[in-house]
Amino acid sequence: MRKNLKITPEGTKDYLFEECIVSDDICVKIKNCFTQRGYAKVDTPCIEFYDLFTLEDSGYTQESMFKTTDNKGRLMVMRPDSTLPIARMAATRLKNYEMPLRLFYAQSVYRNNPTLLGRSNEVMQMGIELIGATGKRADLEILTTAVDVLSATVEDFRIEIGHAGFFDALIEKMDIDEDTSESIRLSIESKNYSSLNTILDKLPESAEAVAIRKLPRLFGGEEVIEKAFKLCNGTKAENSLKYVKELYRSLQKLGLSDKLTIDLGIVQKTSYYSGIVFNAFVTGIGDAVISGGRYDKLMENFDFPNGAAGFAINIDEVVKLNLKGKYRDKGIVPEVLVCAKDGYEIEAITKTKELVKQGIKAVFSTFSTYEEAKKYAEKTGVKEIINIGE
Amino acid sequence: MSPLRIALTKGRLEKDTIKLFQKIGYDCDAVINKGRRLILPIGNGEIEVVLAKAADVITYVENGVCDLGVVGKDTILENGHSFYELLDLGFGKCKFALAAKKGSDFYGGYKAITIATKYPNVTRAFFEEKNMDVRVIKIEGSVELGPLIGLSDAIVDIVETGSTLKENGLEVIEDVCPISARLIANVASLKLRKKEIEDLVDLIGKEINP
Repeated sequence: MRKNLKITPEGTKDYLFEECIVSDDICVKIKNCFTQRGYAKVDTPCIEFYDLFTLEDSGYTQESMFKTTDNKGRLMVMRPDSTLPIARMAATRLKNYEMPLRLFYAQSVYRNNPTLLGRSNEVMQMGIELIGATGKRADLEILTTAVDVLSATVEDFRIEIGHAGFFDALIEKMDIDEDTSESIRLSIESKNYSSLNTILDKLPESAEAVAIRKLPRLFGGEEVIEKAFKLCNGTKAENSLKYVKELYRSLQKLGLSDKLTIDLGIVQKTSYYSGIVFNAFVTGIGDAVISGGRYDKLMENFDFPNGAAGFAINIDEVVKLNLKGKYRDKGIVPEVLVCAKDGYEIEAITKTKELVKQGIKAVFSTFSTYEEAKKYAEKTGVKEIINIGE
Repeated sequence: MSPLRIALTKGRLEKDTIKLFQKIGYDCDAVINKGRRLILPIGNGEIEVVLAKAADVITYVENGVCDLGVVGKDTILENGHSFYELLDLGFGKCKFALAAKKGSDFYGGYKAITIATKYPNVTRAFFEEKNMDVRVIKIEGSVELGPLIGLSDAIVDIVETGSTLKENGLEVIEDVCPISARLIANVASLKLRKKEIEDLVDLIGKEINP
């Protein structure tokens, strides 16, 4: 028995009518934000070699990826992320191009989430990658593009900025093994104060340990930076702080005021991030809609040492927010139905095209009799029927 | 502005949390006289309490339909963690423990070990850390039966006083980890409603660790 014949796989769904219209509309708006800033579209294959996503620090566990094999038995995955494929592509096919490269994408990513949690396994994302540019200007370019995208698609949002270098500098000075630093990172990521304290209690007391203890709470406005300065006096972490402060000040000129916050506790699972990291949140969506940052070391994996930064936006969540219960049938019922008597089909089709050209939503009737067409029109609310050949 | 929505684990954790809310000055009469209602206002309506089963508290918070939640560490360890864990509330204290028949040589020999438990993820993680390959069988209730009727060599379960174990001739071999109630928050809520949540967390924090 084919018991799965009529259902879609868990975590996936069909998209109908209004959902497609809203989705297309949002994609166009975002695409405009990207192209106006000089980004060019690229597509990468849906299936990539497993090796690409098992690079150190890629942050994807074996079980979170959909896998298959090619005809040589090599392991393949459905891309869980677009940044790594684009980094691969830039490092190979675009390596002789003048830097920086401004690339954007609009494609789905696939993640094999645990079942029955209501999470999507297929997520439509759009995003940009700015490759071969580093420093304040490049970071501001990425961040302001994210602001553009959010302003164009949602009513209210918050962007939070952190810096991967802040945590890294503190941890480096603490001289602890990798497992401990990973559990510290996890506790900070989940703002788990109690487990963080349990881990740190076992370690010798130091200025860095005191700073790390406070890390999950270091989020908010500019006052966060001042608090953090006091905690990391004289360490390398100061440089990251100064930099975040500079960016924050610059971004204030956009008049974002309370939309922009600092969170020094952002320590992404995808630890290829090396500089700024940022997330965006929108009321009504329970998770970050945008996440991104700077990943200067990642490209070395492809023998193409170039700084790069980017972000991705979860299109499905933004679409859901813009739909808000609008699941109507708009778009499928025509205004005019053009019927044809036997032998007048081509004339009717030509007539339909003429009407459409005039801006009327006309459709050529596929019913063989006028009576059937009339019945359909009554049921669906088609306003007018024309019978060609009368 | 919509009220801050907090999911409470029905039963003892709910009662302890309500006591805590009363101590920090919230009017909780609606929850105390709740009848069969599941969504109740507290204070002057600035907080809304949702009553749910433990694992559902996590589901509601993870999906962002509740901003905050109170749930035991046992449920957190068993059911994933894409939320923020803000406070150890100090009540609902107990522990996860590995227990077997009194006098059995659990770690001895080379026999492949079978564990019965309601918490397969916690059990797996515990033995993975010890590099031990064990077979885990999920049981829905009265896990103590496992070793007694020969289904498993030992159990991993929540132990409070240890009297159930004792009465059934079992004993704790090793503690797995301590458990207590935690305050959790949705990732986006903490950012979008930072002030409200932080004020509440500070109030609770001062009450439990003066």
